[in-house]
Amino acid sequence: MNICQTKWQLPAPPRKAGIVGMPPRQVIQYLNDQGTAIHDLDAKLVPDSIEGTAPYLPRVYCAILRTVVLNALRLSLDAVYIDVGTGKCDAALHVSTILTNILSIPVIRTINRDKQNFGTPVCRTRLALLEKFLTITEGVKYHRPQDGVNFKPCQPRAGFWGVPPRDFSLLELFPDTTHIYGWTRCMENKTPAAEDLELYYNPAIPTVFFAQSFCAKTGLAKFLADRHPSALYLDADYNCGGSAKAKIQAFLELSGAYQ
Amino acid sequence: MILADFGTSYCKFLDTEGLDKPTITATKELPPRLRVDIATGHNGQRFAKEYVNELIALARGGERLITDDNYVLLDCGSRDIKFIKYAGGRVADMGWNTECGASMGFTIELLARYYDLDYQHIPPPSRTFSVTCGVLGMSNIFDAIIDGTPAAEAVASFVKGIAVNAYRFAGSPARLYLSGGLCANPIFTGSLPCEVIPLGRFVLLEGLLNRNCSAASPSKLRTNSELNG
Repeated sequence: MNICQTKWQLPAPPRKAGIVGMPPRQVIQYLNDQGTAIHDLDAKLVPDSIEGTAPYLPRVYCAILRTVVLNALRLSLDAVYIDVGTGKCDAALHVSTILTNILSIPVIRTINRDKQNFGTPVCRTRLALLEKFLTITEGVKYHRPQDGVNFKPCQPRAGFWGVPPRDFSLLELFPDTTHIYGWTRCMENKTPAAEDLELYYNPAIPTVFFAQSFCAKTGLAKFLADRHPSALYLDADYNCGGSAKAKIQAFLELSGAYQ
Repeated sequence: MILADFGTSYCKFLDTEGLDKPTITATKELPPRLRVDIATGHNGQRFAKEYVNELIALARGGERLITDDNYVLLDCGSRDIKFIKYAGGRVADMGWNTECGASMGFTIELLARYYDLDYQHIPPPSRTFSVTCGVLGMSNIFDAIIDGTPAAEAVASFVKGIAVNAYRFAGSPARLYLSGGLCANPIFTGSLPCEVIPLGRFVLLEGLLNRNCSAASPSKLRTNSELNG
């Protein structure tokens, strides 16, 4: 059984639901079938200052989870489905406790153990990296996979390993031939807890190993970057600063990824 | 063509069709309407038609000046420190520290002015302060002076702490190529616990030259007097 809580089907289907991480496809299918509007709370959805989360979370904390709390506070939702298994992160479990206490709506914990592979055509196609990430993150709202026919594979010149960053502007620095690895690839495959897939990288191409600052995945990103023959380890917090962007640009240019 | 490295404290200029040697101007004395052709340095985008980021300029400069295939090149500026590592002729690692390495060069210069010190005449210190950034590390100096340590010795221990921190940031290599104004500071270079090859303060300008010249062409900027401070 994938679902953590047995009463995840609410008496009245939610009109607007927030999701954190990737709840199981069974849950997403239920919400899709009910016509529920799904909001991906991991993404930047409201313009308010992140300081609005300061009463509930430390300032030195994962920017994605601070964003989750900010979205949950500001959006008028009927329910939140938050994945707390290995397909998300330990900290999401604690954030689910906080949300349960500060929100007056149901906060439903799930554990996604989906194993059916749906493929990763977007991760391997020629397209602006920003567009690839927007396509993949939009995909978490639907139980059906992307139509892979539209995404032909390309020869990679660079790699991006990691989670979708809080600040998408750093993605604009990569060439269109960048392949995506890590948890984002797991997202597209709809298997967020697939550890083998998350660990996979291509040693033949220069790769940026990215994690959000203060996230446990920084350890994995650093470990894999040390094993890769041409790697840049990078972590960034709420916004990606000028020096971090300069590092990415220099790494890609000096590695020949722009040629 | 005018090339420029717009640093936090000092700017370096080279006229590729004029004088062989570059010139140095204090950043605070820059004319506001100044325009150059190609620039690097964190102030560079304000003044240039074309901008090259500092890590790329550092790497390209290293390619012109260093013949090894395996090396670490560290640039210590007023505001930040950055390094580039090559292995087998390919980029293997890089770093740019604007937080924990913040204001190191600037603080070293400020301290010399405040305490009226000449780093050329201060003996190497035996003590090393634990310093993670220029601003936070200054409290070590004040504490040592309160305890009776001469100012010159306290500042030298501070500079040594900065050098050790920069060395660790660069990955603790056995041999370190050094770029920036601190090449001329014997306390700093003498405190690095490895073989040090100072390249002077025009390495980033070399990197800008490298955009249009062969990497094998001789350097116009690296002179013995510069290397010796």
